[in-house]
Amino acid sequence: MPEVLKAIDGLTPLGPLTGVFDEMLMEQGTPRSHYSAYQEWLSGISGTSMEAKRVEADLIFRRLGITFSVYGEEGGTERLIPSDVVPRIISSEEWAKLEKGLAQRVKAINRFLHDIYHDQDILKAGKIPPEQIYSNDQFQVAMVGIDLPNQTYAHIVGVDVVRHSDGEYYVLEDNLRVPSGVSYMLSNRKMMMRLFPDLFRRYAVRPVEHYPALLLQTLQAAADVSNPTVVLLTPGRFNSAYFEHTFLAQQMGIELVEGQDLFVQDGFVYMRTTSGPEKVDVIYRRLDDHFLDPLTFRQDSMLGVPGLLSSYRLGRVVIANAIGTGVADDKSIYPYVPEMIRFYLDEEPILKNVPTFMCRKPDELKHVLAHLPELVVKEVHGAGGYGMLVGPTSSKAEIEAFRRVLKANPSNYIAQPTLALSSCPTFVAEGIAPRHIDLRPFVLVGKDIRMVPGGLTRVALRKGSLVVNSSQGGGTKDTWVVD
Amino acid sequence: MLSRVASHLYWLARYMERAENMARILDVGQTLALLAQSKDDTETALEPLIITDHLKDFQATGLVATTESVARYLTWDPDQPSSIANCLEATRENARAVRGSITSEMWECINDVWLQLQTKRRQGNDPINTEFYDWVKQCSHLFRGITFATIRRDQPYHFIRLGTFIERADNTARILSVKQSAKHNGGQGDESDYYSLSAVLRSVSALEAYRDTYKDSIDARRVAELLVFHPTLPRSLRFCYDEIEQLLEHLPAGPSRLPRRWAAQMKARLTYGHVDEAYELGLLDFLEGFLKENVGLGEAVQTAYLELK
Repeated sequence: MPEVLKAIDGLTPLGPLTGVFDEMLMEQGTPRSHYSAYQEWLSGISGTSMEAKRVEADLIFRRLGITFSVYGEEGGTERLIPSDVVPRIISSEEWAKLEKGLAQRVKAINRFLHDIYHDQDILKAGKIPPEQIYSNDQFQVAMVGIDLPNQTYAHIVGVDVVRHSDGEYYVLEDNLRVPSGVSYMLSNRKMMMRLFPDLFRRYAVRPVEHYPALLLQTLQAAADVSNPTVVLLTPGRFNSAYFEHTFLAQQMGIELVEGQDLFVQDGFVYMRTTSGPEKVDVIYRRLDDHFLDPLTFRQDSMLGVPGLLSSYRLGRVVIANAIGTGVADDKSIYPYVPEMIRFYLDEEPILKNVPTFMCRKPDELKHVLAHLPELVVKEVHGAGGYGMLVGPTSSKAEIEAFRRVLKANPSNYIAQPTLALSSCPTFVAEGIAPRHIDLRPFVLVGKDIRMVPGGLTRVALRKGSLVVNSSQGGGTKDTWVVD
Repeated sequence: MLSRVASHLYWLARYMERAENMARILDVGQTLALLAQSKDDTETALEPLIITDHLKDFQATGLVATTESVARYLTWDPDQPSSIANCLEATRENARAVRGSITSEMWECINDVWLQLQTKRRQGNDPINTEFYDWVKQCSHLFRGITFATIRRDQPYHFIRLGTFIERADNTARILSVKQSAKHNGGQGDESDYYSLSAVLRSVSALEAYRDTYKDSIDARRVAELLVFHPTLPRSLRFCYDEIEQLLEHLPAGPSRLPRRWAAQMKARLTYGHVDEAYELGLLDFLEGFLKENVGLGEAVQTAYLELK
């Protein structure tokens, strides 16, 4: 065990990294005002007792089975996402601004989705080139002209936000298909309250526990019928987010169904129950578009429901999120979100976008090719950190290899400056040390746009790493919005 | 309630019960093997395989049959679906598929059992001792207790209990029929009979019940009477069917006709039957008939409630 963990003295966080915004410490090492009570508390906690808390947290998570599945891994397919014991704290003023910005963004995106599947005013106005839409395989022709209740497409949105060295929040990505992670947000809070009740006495932490209730209200409001039957559609227990599916279904008190539990008859969707067929009104699906209906999409998929789309098109069932929302969270559409906000809402965007170079434009491609070592280059339709170049951490040979790939098919790529993700003190082997983090708040679109304060903070546990993905050594933190 | 969910609950209970029964059979078998009275070692060694109907599977492995190799096979073999390890694994897999329909206490219990199983396998070198079998029994008792104490008396509960009793009736009938076939109708117990019969009783937790009920030496006919017809012994066939009939009354009425008819017929035979009649027919034939009908009931439940039509 490293020395620091055996120490019986109180813990002191290691100094902040240069050129990085630290959530807790200012440059001279003194805490920001909303962290000062935490710092004071921390100085009375020894490394030994903190380590004991960490071990206890791990044990409880494992016992509760809060795990995610890893495909093709030897020796058990379930892994724990490490949950750090140091909270990420956001002041309520900052959250108020984030909340406004997120609501604005999600509102504009829903307006965009309705427009793009109806009159396409934004294309006619010349704000977005039509080929960006039509060449996108997330654009679902089957959705054109279909009217959805409340004109809502994205009911549940997970927006990835990071804070750059300038102290500003930037939106990295809008997840509009099946955003996940909210169960970790809820489990982290439960865990922290159990491990550190005294901290919750020092801070007025705004609660997040009502998220499942909000989600259920959102889903119920998505249908025009009164007292609708809502179900959660999961791909099944081999899906990496299966824990979350069961967790949310249980918290909301709704059935967790698989494709095989549903069938379509006379245009309506039913589930097979021990008392016979029961009509379903709203499907909260955690399954991608392409698997939903083998009659329309992938014919080899056993996960979906044959005929679901025909029922959906008749308006007999609501699917949340709607089919075809993916066209708006594509990396090639992302740069246009600020334009959407101006076009539909006639407002200036509150949250910033990361400057993005579109390689399909010749002059932007030229700039990108000249600055490859400083940039992050991503595939337009890629996800999960694959098929991308991180300039600053790549070798010359890797950069040159990527240059050839990029030149061969420029329109498949976008490029962004490498952001210095903010850091937050984290309990690791060397003590309380800065690690890079991001934030995923969850936005719910029902009658109003609502969200619980905070969201899921992901942390890159490896020193210097900017990759927060749980599949690549990332963990999570409880996220506090404090008054 | 979803048919698929009902099916997972029913099977999770059957697997948990099966793990417990297997532990009981193996534990008693090993204790018996330690006694000098066992006349034929191979015969005794094979008995757990005959009871659980896995003799052919075992022979196909090419292993030499000793008490130990059989116990290890039925406890740990990854290719034997009914090995205790696989039963506990299947219990958890079924529970994992329906986490939302059982209480978190039930899930934590099953998950904890599974975690401990991994540890025991790693540390203990695949144990087959009494300590291990006691642990399996304790796990099953614990799960039953937690279920009893935490879940609403609703469909999930009824399907879990149904799985438990159908599996248990099967197990009791099997143990009795194998032990009886070795003994024929022998009633004038010699010493080896005594040990064999008391082993039967112990494997279904009924030795004390026997003493309380008969206050006399152990004889085969009374053992049969106790395990088949006794109304209050929790592992007797009669008791199982009293429960099964009541459980079926709680399930949705629509598709219930066939399973309830099966159950009512079987219950009537056990309620109004007598051990002398069973002996007239031949106890073995009686038990074999029962086993077939018990399987029939399981199929009727499957068709009525659990299958995805």
